[in-house]
Parts: sequence; structure tokens; C-alpha cells
Amino acid sequence: MTTTLLPEERAIDSHRKSHSAQTRRYGFFPGCVAKESCKELFNSTMLLAEKIGIELIELTAASCCGASVVNDTNRDVARVLNARTYAQAEALGLDDVITICSTCTGHMRAANKELLESEERLAHANGILGKFGAKYNGSVMVRHLLWLLIDDIGLDNLKKMVVRPLNGLKVAPFYGCHIIRPESVNGWESARQPHSLEDLITAIGGEPVDYAGKTRCCGFHIQLEKDGIAPAMVGQNMRMAKDNGAEAVITPCPLCHLALDGYQADSAARWGRTDLPTFHLPQLVAFALGVPADTLGLNKHIIDPRGALVARELIS
Amino acid sequence: MAQITLDIFRFDEATDTVPHRDKVAVNVPPTTTVLDALEAAKAEVDGSISFRRSCRSAICGSCSMNINGVTGLACKTPCNTVMDENGVVSVDPMPNFQPMKDLVVHMDPFWDKYTRLKPYLQPKDKDSDHERERRVDPEDMKKLVQVANCVMCATCYALCPVVSVDPSFAGPAAIAYAYRFIEDVRDDQRGERIAQISDDYLWLCAHCYACSYCPKHVDPHDRIVDVKRAAIKDRVMMNERGPRHALVVNKTIRQTGMLQETEVIQGTVGRFNITGLIKVAPLGLRLASRGKLPPIFMKPIPKVDEIGIIFDALEVPVS
Repeated sequence: MTTTLLPEERAIDSHRKSHSAQTRRYGFFPGCVAKESCKELFNSTMLLAEKIGIELIELTAASCCGASVVNDTNRDVARVLNARTYAQAEALGLDDVITICSTCTGHMRAANKELLESEERLAHANGILGKFGAKYNGSVMVRHLLWLLIDDIGLDNLKKMVVRPLNGLKVAPFYGCHIIRPESVNGWESARQPHSLEDLITAIGGEPVDYAGKTRCCGFHIQLEKDGIAPAMVGQNMRMAKDNGAEAVITPCPLCHLALDGYQADSAARWGRTDLPTFHLPQLVAFALGVPADTLGLNKHIIDPRGALVARELIS
Repeated sequence: MAQITLDIFRFDEATDTVPHRDKVAVNVPPTTTVLDALEAAKAEVDGSISFRRSCRSAICGSCSMNINGVTGLACKTPCNTVMDENGVVSVDPMPNFQPMKDLVVHMDPFWDKYTRLKPYLQPKDKDSDHERERRVDPEDMKKLVQVANCVMCATCYALCPVVSVDPSFAGPAAIAYAYRFIEDVRDDQRGERIAQISDDYLWLCAHCYACSYCPKHVDPHDRIVDVKRAAIKDRVMMNERGPRHALVVNKTIRQTGMLQETEVIQGTVGRFNITGLIKVAPLGLRLASRGKLPPIFMKPIPKVDEIGIIFDALEVPVS
């Protein structure tokens, strides 16, 4: 008997063991924000990579993933832009493209799924890439750094590498939409009850805080469409985290980071002061693994996260 | 028979100021749907428990509610997929709605947004001009079939985080249903419909995919994107922030290969819209105080001309 899976239950090859995983050499797609307003994310990612012994080879000629916005004007452009990026990874002999942004993850995986599920769409993209001598053969998988840490390094190994456990720091996970939804595109873990960030927080000695806002939207993508909308969404989510005892937030997405870090000052009028510092995923992991705090760009955050670390006597 | 305990939100707006909860145990097989468990509770234990239901088979769209914190149709959710280790299933009214009695909510805001669409065909000519029904090519009908499956259960509306903070947003179901008429070849009000839904904050969709849990697999998010594309194609309300944002993002990607944050903010809000820029300035100042303002000028990525080739081949609009 065959079971027909509902779309939200379908998983695509998220757990494949790649050549990149075996050789520990990965294609790296930092995305626009880690190269522009969140350079501390890029830097802490590279420091973490060195610490865990993997090589991240930046795809320097890659373009923006489309950031969910280019789809609004044209149904093909994100697919072809990303096929160009995947062709660059293939040319370097890499079959994993690692992202450090939820939005990049979701949209690059969606583009890849469209390419891999249809010979016609792959041929269409290659018809355009052919104009400048590039070709995508369909061997690439897009994975977030979070998945790499859990699947390729392993939580047990990470635990062993921790030299500065977080001393019970109460950390609220904030997933960001596009690393979990839609499940038909991501499928690495349940979108309704994800627990990878909680597992990671526990592995590095923190205490995960459960709250309903952890899988909700930060409002980043519509911050410019209407004044006040993103702060309202940020405030709603951070209120829940704060009320459940959070001392800090961790997010795998720099867009969520910008919204959460930037708008809590504006959301205070409606939701009360929350002032939760928001760590980028690699910052907090690298910190626990012993990377010096002053190299992680913690001073670049609007809500300074060093206070939360001082309170738990993790830094002086 | 296993025992299922329903932990039910109880409230009557006519008499109560605050809600309370009742735990009601029923003897039903664990594979029973949450709706049938509620029916058993109502029939055998407490006749005053109120909830909407009709078809019991995911067609009428009446019984959407929060089941262990997850919004969905009670008739489509077996108890054993949601109950905890003690066999408890908690049921609450849909979020984003005002509770009326127990699990029944005031649906008016949802219907208001739906009726604003004029959710009926508005053809150019009269029915009486035709000897028989209007025929539609099956190819033209194909793209409407999925969205026509919508049962208006409001699950997507209840899940939408934008609706939760800004009730003026039309919400996923209404925009998806607007698509159903915008793309119907028999309809003559395409322009008016796109303008109407743009006015009801079409561009406020946050791309969060919360509506991807649609119990009928309508995928409202994808239809919202379709309506946005129709708006750009027909150049409806192009001076609003939504279309400007989409086009300036395209422009910066074409020019530099990257989404250039500074340019996107100015292009969306308006370079000469001083009041608008002042309103977005606080975040900019906060970023600046940490030395992390995005660069004003960006070096294009290597081989940026390839992006131009892609954009030209696909005729991607940049203005």
C-alpha cells in the first residue's frame, strides 16, 4: 500500500549525505544582508567554520537569491538567478550551498525544487545560462548552517566542543518563516513543531524558552509597506518570549535579526519594553565553542547582547 | 474505547466577562475526529457546548478552530494525531477573531473583506444575450480550479500574523479569491478588481507562508503573488510602496547583482518623500550608531552583466 503524503508532510532530500559533507568543503552563499548591514554575521560564521573544521568556499559571483520580492514581478527570474548560482557551485566541484539566512534558504530551495522537478524548467534556465556559457546540472542542495551543524557535525560532537557552556542562559529560539515554511520546500523538520534551535541551545548549555511566537513572522519583508507594521509584529512576538522568561533570542536569519533588534524600541509603546538582545545563530554557537567574544561583533547590535552574557557571568 | 478529554474554552459574550475552561471526558475511539469528540461531549455530557459544524467532511468550512494551539478543521483532525500523553485535546476559538460563544467566533470581519471583492462574475454582456451558458476553454479554467476549492473556513485568516496586528489587511483568503475572478476570462472587471484589492493592502502580505496550512491546499500565498504580478503587468497603482519596492529591488539586483538596502529604502519610500523618510529614519539612526549602516554605493558582483542577460531574456520589469 502506498501512502499519499499531504503537501505539508512531504520532505525533499534534506537529509542527503553530500560530497561536500564528506569532504567538509561547502559552497557558501552569505546573502546580501550578511554582506551589507550585518557583516558581524558573515564574520562570526567564518570564525565558527574555522572552529568546527569546515571550509566554507564563498560563491563570490553569486547574485541575490531574489529575497521573495523578485517573484512578485516575474515567475521565472528567481529560478534562473539561482540556477546561475548553483552552476557556480558545480563548477567548483561543490554539491552543497550553505546559507545563513532563512529567506535565502527558503527561496533558493524553492527555486531548486522547481528546477529539479521539471526537465522543462531546467532546460529553460540552461537556455538562458547558455548565453554566457554556464550550465546547471541539478546536483546542488541548499542547506542552512543550522542543518549542517546538526546533520554533519552532530549535537553530541558539538556538545564535546563546548568550552564555555551558556550557564543556563534562557534563550528564545526565533526560526523565521522561510527556513521552515512551506514544508513542501524545506521539509527538514516539522514547521509546526520545530526543535532544532532548542536542541542546539541545550547542546551549548543554554535553556530554550518555549513561546508561540517562535515560528511567527518578524514583519521584515513588509517594514516599508506600511509604517508601524513590523514593530507591531516584533513587539507581539518578543512580548511572548519575554513573558516566558527569555533573556536573549537566537535566530538563523539576519532579516529577523534586523527586525527584532531594530524595532523593539518602537514596539515598546504598544507591547511594553522587552529589550531582548538577538544573537545571530553562529555568534552564540561560536561563543560557546570558545571564540573570543570581542571578535563576534556583539557591539554591532542595537540591543547590546553583552549585558545578558555578563548577567550569567559568561563574560566580565 | 479510549477516553479522550477535551479541554474546552468556554465563554458566552452575553453573560461572561472572562472565559473559563471545562474538561469534558468522552468515550470514543482515539481515531475519532475532534469534531466527533465534541459532538459526543455535547450529546452526552453538556448540551451547552457551542461550536459551528455542518458537513463533517471538510467541505462546508464551518468547524475551523484552534486544536492544541494549531488552527485547522476539527472534522479533518483525528484526536490521536493531536492528543497529549494523557489523551487531552485542548480546543479554542480561532485566533484573530472575537469569540462569541465557546468555539463560535464573530466572522463578520472575514465576510466583510470577502463581500468587498464582489465575489461573483461580472461579465461584459448580459446573460440574456447568450442562448446557452458561457463556455470556457478547459485550459483557461485550469488555473482557477485550485483556488475554487476554497471553503472559506478562515483558517488562513486566523493564522495570518499581519491580520493579527493590522485588521485592515484583506487577508489570504480574500486575495486568493480575488485572483479567482481576476483571472477568469469571462470577467470584465479585472482592472477594478486589482485596484480594489491593492487598496485593501494586497502588498501587505509578509510572505510568511502561515497560510500554507490551508486544509484545502489552496496555497493562498501563491495566489497573492499571482495577483501582485497581475498588478505589475497591468500597471495598477504603481505609485504605491508595494510595486515601487518590487521594482527597485529588481533594479538594484540588475545593477549590482545584490539587493542594495540603502537604494531599496529610498526607492520604496520615495527619494523626495521627506515625511516618509523621517518616519523610517529612527531605525537608520540606530543602525548608524552601531556603525552598521548599509553602504550607499555597492561594488557590483563579478560578471554582473550576466544578470542583465537573465533580466533581458525574461523581460523582468525594473521600472
